[in-house]
Amino acid sequence: MKLSYARKSLREVFGETLVELGERHKNVLVLDADLNTSSRTVLFKQRFPDRFIQCGIAEANMFGIAAGLAAQGYVTFPSTFAAFATRKALDQVYVNTAYPDLDVKIAGSYCGMTATECGPSHNCAEDLAVMRALPHVKVLDPGDNRELESMMHAMMAAPGPVYFRVSKVNAPELFAAGHRFAFGRGHLLREGRDIALLGTGFMTAIALGAAELLDRQGISAAVAHLPSIKPIDEEMIGRLARQTGALLTIENHRIFGGFGGAVAEVVARDYPVHLEAMGLGDTVFESAPLQDLLRHYELTPRAMAARAAALVQRKRRASAA
Amino acid sequence: MTDLKHLAPEEVRALAATAFDVRRLCLEFVTNAGWGHIGGSFSEAELLACLYGGVLRVDPQAPDDPLRDRFVLSKAHASPALYATLALAGFFPVERLATYCRLGGLDGHTQRGQCPGIEYSGGSLGTGLSYAAGVAHGLRLADNFASRVYCLIGDGECNEGQIWEAAMSAAHYRLDNLIAVVDCNKVMAKGKVSDLMAVEPLAEKFRAFGWTALECDGHDLAEICATFHQAKYLEMRGRPLAVIAHTVKGRGLPEAEFNYHWHTHAPSPEQAEKFLADLNRTYGRAEKFSRPLIAPIDGGLEAVITADLACNPRHLRP
Repeated sequence: MKLSYARKSLREVFGETLVELGERHKNVLVLDADLNTSSRTVLFKQRFPDRFIQCGIAEANMFGIAAGLAAQGYVTFPSTFAAFATRKALDQVYVNTAYPDLDVKIAGSYCGMTATECGPSHNCAEDLAVMRALPHVKVLDPGDNRELESMMHAMMAAPGPVYFRVSKVNAPELFAAGHRFAFGRGHLLREGRDIALLGTGFMTAIALGAAELLDRQGISAAVAHLPSIKPIDEEMIGRLARQTGALLTIENHRIFGGFGGAVAEVVARDYPVHLEAMGLGDTVFESAPLQDLLRHYELTPRAMAARAAALVQRKRRASAA
Repeated sequence: MTDLKHLAPEEVRALAATAFDVRRLCLEFVTNAGWGHIGGSFSEAELLACLYGGVLRVDPQAPDDPLRDRFVLSKAHASPALYATLALAGFFPVERLATYCRLGGLDGHTQRGQCPGIEYSGGSLGTGLSYAAGVAHGLRLADNFASRVYCLIGDGECNEGQIWEAAMSAAHYRLDNLIAVVDCNKVMAKGKVSDLMAVEPLAEKFRAFGWTALECDGHDLAEICATFHQAKYLEMRGRPLAVIAHTVKGRGLPEAEFNYHWHTHAPSPEQAEKFLADLNRTYGRAEKFSRPLIAPIDGGLEAVITADLACNPRHLRP
């Protein structure tokens, strides 16, 4: 298996796609809280200075302003680190945007552990859990550049609030040109019989690597990518559960209430099978480069393959008993 | 230091040497980490040198003494200068600075209890002054009238509404054991404070909230100490005190001064050598780095996946 890695980061594609959306839709406004060259909304600022609103280091205020603008018919893209969009301005997002179902598209930048050296205050492995719990909000984690671009076009056609994740990561290309994102739709990347590995965001690439390692050991692992965490592809989860009898999820997030949690809710209700989630546990964030963090928190193809092999063994023992 | 109001020339020289060493150490470990905040660390270097050089009542041998003064770095991204200052003051070995932004090492933004002298978990701007007000209030409730709480905030950080909620509550509760020091370096992450979200006039704002406010040159060591002297003996009458220290972001490096590019940015080893030469010239020193500088490479996701796919599957035990 040879993965090809994008030369551009997800955040660069986010910035460029914002400009495209700005060209097509005159009612798109972008708001910033002193992070535009990091989030890459600077590209929109340069192209449409009059439709770019600098709010300073004042996130709660920015999300209030974004909601007020949306109520006047604008589609607003307030952008900051995921940590500040979700942990800091949660009440403003809930009361002013989510509940009244306004057209605010929230880009959570530097999601999960991708704020790397910034440490605990800026890394955010809670955003999926928090945003998933809000009414009306769709929650998305794109797998690669093409998917992010398609996702941003799709959210323009879907009224209401969206939370989507962006990072500085150069993601492996999961999809060919022409890939179309759809809310609530997952994508089967690899067939398999013994276990299904379910990924969201760029972590799906780890699952693909793990499936390759499992294959060398004679374990057949399916890999599915689910960029839409809410709504989630319940049909696909049910089908893979029935087909393999063992599911292992992986996410750039804690294992509490995020992607693994969303999958578990479906599995528990529709088709209980062996299920485990990989992500950060109840642990503190270290400040370190991404490669060190992935290894430290055991979110690597090797670690995932080992977890999957153990899960398959458990499934077989249970069915033999 | 015997008399903050009238520093002896050798005391000024000693503080200047500390401020220089803080910058030198920051350059070294930020370069080796490949990440860090140079601009905001260099603007606060003289303030920290004075605070830990005689203003704060702290003892590195007894960092948890209940009667100590408390220091809260609300602008916790500028942690390099604080780590360096604490190490130089003897709170922990200077060698520990090399663990900055490594697994198990010093965090990019300060974390309470991670090492002696760090009182506050920060990084989310705007939260430190409320925390400091809580500490000040707690000291009062415990009948501790000896300790003061110093909280260093940024001028860009004053964008955050929470700063003004803290200001309101500190005045309401008459916390005259609380001193907010504003490192007024005029530049935030992506541009000038006055362009992105203006905050001036800060002294008048604090006064309007019921505080006493003083202003000083945040790089003039004698003036900083005299201002803190005034703060110590000022008849506070129930009013918290704000010291607005006018500073230069990136002070000491011509390329970085008032340059937002150096808000979050690590120099390459070559740049760091040039910067050290700049510092040596500016401060009349001739120092070298203690070891060769090496910028780390983060191979990210690609490095992790590639390495694992190349591994021998027999090593893959469940």
